[in-house]
Amino acid sequence: MISKSRAQAVLDEALRTGGDYSELFMQDSEFNDLQMINGAVENAGYQRKAGAGIRVLKGTRSAYAFTADTSDEALLEAARSAAAAITGAREYESVAFGTERSGSCTYEHRFSEVENADRIALLKEATTSAKAYSDEITQVAARYLDVDHRIMVCNSNGVWATDRRPRTRVFVQAVAMKDNEAQTGYDSPGLGMGFEAYRRINMADVGKTAARIAVTMLHAPECPAGPVPVVIDGGFGGVILHEACVHSLEATSVGRGNSEFCGKLGQRIASDIVTAVDDGTLPGEWGTITFDDEGTPSQRNVLIENGVLKTYLVDLLGSRRMDGHPLTGSSRRQDYTFAPTSRMTNTFFAEGNDDEEEMIATMGEGLFAARMGGGSVNPLTGEFNFAVTEGYWVRDGRIISPVRGATLIGKGAEVLMKIDRIGRHMWMGQGMCGSLSGSIPTNVGQPRIRVSEITVGGKGGAL
Amino acid sequence: MTFIEYRDAAFKAALELGCSAAEVYFMDEEVFSVDVVNADLENYSVEHGCGLNLRVKLDGKDGYAYTEVLDDPATLVRRAMDNARSIESEDVHPMQGRCEYPQVTMPQNPAKGMTAEDKIKYAMDIERATLAADPRVRRMDRSTVSTSRVTTRIHNTLGMEADSIKETAVAISDTILGQDGVEKGGWAIRFGRNFFDMEGMVNEAVQAAADQFNASPVPSGEYSVILRNDAAGDLLGAFFSVFSAEAAQKGLSLLKGKEGENIASDAVSIVDDPFYPDNPRAFDAEGVPSVRTEVVSHGRLNTLLHNLKTAAVAGCESTSNAGRSGGVINVSPSNFYIEAGEKSLDELTQAMGDGLIITDLAGLHSGLNAVSGDFSLLARGFLVKGGKRVRSVEQITIAGNLLPLLRGIIAVGSDLRFFGLGSGIGSPSLLVDRIMISG
Repeated sequence: MISKSRAQAVLDEALRTGGDYSELFMQDSEFNDLQMINGAVENAGYQRKAGAGIRVLKGTRSAYAFTADTSDEALLEAARSAAAAITGAREYESVAFGTERSGSCTYEHRFSEVENADRIALLKEATTSAKAYSDEITQVAARYLDVDHRIMVCNSNGVWATDRRPRTRVFVQAVAMKDNEAQTGYDSPGLGMGFEAYRRINMADVGKTAARIAVTMLHAPECPAGPVPVVIDGGFGGVILHEACVHSLEATSVGRGNSEFCGKLGQRIASDIVTAVDDGTLPGEWGTITFDDEGTPSQRNVLIENGVLKTYLVDLLGSRRMDGHPLTGSSRRQDYTFAPTSRMTNTFFAEGNDDEEEMIATMGEGLFAARMGGGSVNPLTGEFNFAVTEGYWVRDGRIISPVRGATLIGKGAEVLMKIDRIGRHMWMGQGMCGSLSGSIPTNVGQPRIRVSEITVGGKGGAL
Repeated sequence: MTFIEYRDAAFKAALELGCSAAEVYFMDEEVFSVDVVNADLENYSVEHGCGLNLRVKLDGKDGYAYTEVLDDPATLVRRAMDNARSIESEDVHPMQGRCEYPQVTMPQNPAKGMTAEDKIKYAMDIERATLAADPRVRRMDRSTVSTSRVTTRIHNTLGMEADSIKETAVAISDTILGQDGVEKGGWAIRFGRNFFDMEGMVNEAVQAAADQFNASPVPSGEYSVILRNDAAGDLLGAFFSVFSAEAAQKGLSLLKGKEGENIASDAVSIVDDPFYPDNPRAFDAEGVPSVRTEVVSHGRLNTLLHNLKTAAVAGCESTSNAGRSGGVINVSPSNFYIEAGEKSLDELTQAMGDGLIITDLAGLHSGLNAVSGDFSLLARGFLVKGGKRVRSVEQITIAGNLLPLLRGIIAVGSDLRFFGLGSGIGSPSLLVDRIMISG
């Protein structure tokens, strides 16, 4: 992408007004995107996104410039643009590159060697499976994405890191209709590897899952509203951890004093059965990175251990704002058009010791949230919300009916203390997480858990 | 290569390789942005992005390919042709030919002539003014000043050439207030002709945070509700796709086949107006000359919004609503808004008597469904009794379905407002008959 001597010149140019750290991030990425409606390919696209971003820090002052033009002159000009935010004389020179890092992603079946026909076959398999599930399925929209990110990040501290980050994902949405009423269901698995991902992702299952949810919800009454016990199933259910807690542990919030978990390291913030982890090292997962977008190796960060807060998620700038809190390999960005900041990778509640059936059998009356949709949080106040895309009402410890339209709301710090069961099997689901440094792939996960009380909002049906 | 060199080489290659037509959509964007916290520059960014999207027509099918590196037009053409060969849909997607464009007057760039130092100073001024505006202001999340210049060029082998330059400026005050050990955040944005309305922005940001203190839920039940203009605009934006003919033709809109029917109360008229003076455009993302569309007139759905492809399928004219997402042409708003009524927010509140004013909705990307129209959203606002605000409300959900909501609108306020810059969605405050609230 760039020679070391050219990169060094750019890093030095960026330091000339007194910056104490400079960083060059370069990217050359190729994307393929196919969209199918009811079994026929509707759109096919290819994208090549390439460019460079240069960051200069002086203390906690941060300047960023990016350019799609990666010629020598353009890079030096971008370095000068960023340096212009700092008005002084040179204090530092960049250090010769010493620490070399390269990615360890497996990438067996390269996307450049995949024919569109093979991608289309995946979408057709899911579509056929969804339609076969029920006559009530009227529409199936399916989408395939793959991306081959090649990145290089180097900095004035002598780090030089190159990585290749292949990822692929499919989205299948099914619409079920009856008597002019429609409901939808979707499934969207993805992995951080090449086309070999589809040895693990079963497209017929993806289509069937989307169809099952749509049909189940079509025949479901509205969910009763109010504060009740809630059991949240494993997998994407872990979005509750992502939204209700870990966004508020990112240095973007904590480093500025804008989090309900500020100053709580070493304190109990969750019930003592709760252990929560952010692990960027899991091979082949959707949220995995070998090293982060500052070149720091990713690691397994135990965020909460037996209810006690152990660490925040911290990038370089965050560390400077947080009295030198150690880096956690968490600095990420969507692409070269964003400066990096602290983000999640694969985030999950670790396995517990509770029986998955018992937690429903002993819950009395409440909601079993089998599938969660997305959500959001206000890190300052901890107020979160998320949608239940497949829910069941439980009475006397038994599932009595599917229910639709439920939303879970609450405050993160409160809900963490109310977790009273954690199951034995953890699995993960995939999402795109949006924040200051753009939209990035993250996994959320958990075993089945129970929360003694959450406010369920919705139209408020009676069962 | 320059844009013109690349365009010419791509067109030549496409036609030689057997395409019947080719089109390029080129965007070049320059952005300057600065965030100030504690009287220091926190983020300072200088951005120069560009991208070229190529569309080729091969045997009647469209294929797309996009690049940010203008170095190898022949490869991009082959990529686009590969993609065209994958298309199985039989829908015809016409390409705009040579045409005349209406004259539009671009609004004056409020930041014209400002240097980087001037913009930094304005961001510092915003911070200082916000910190001084109320004793409860603890600190800033940030104050931001951002300016941009976007050049768009859509050219094709049919002789269409549409070029535009748009310059914008945005200011934001994002602040944090504390009271009795509780902190709440509030922000406000100004752009276009209001870019320098610092006082109004600061007061709005501080008020947005102050309004949240001493809030609590209300008992579950049906309430009369005013969706304040910001919350109403957010909800309309989240449901925009139901007005898209593209979504309808894919079976993904609840308004499919409802043209000519009453979908809302008499009080509701909805317009898509590319000539709205704050954010005008002469053409859409496929170079179609702009037209104003009355989407809903006094409750009756006249038409959905079209691009050239959906119009060809439906046998009508494009409403000039083509947009681009990831290079692919879709249906997007120009300036899409509910037309203002006559009552101010205070008068609507009086008229409501007892109920809730909803000022903020969360979960818009997950808690609503454009196919069924169902929504269930985290909300906050005020409890109103006897036409007066009595206290703040938080941790409630508002739930319902879009069609009953639109049909239940009793009155539309006079306070039409667009919130995002160029987001293209605007609304006045809306008084709605009864909505389910859970607390």
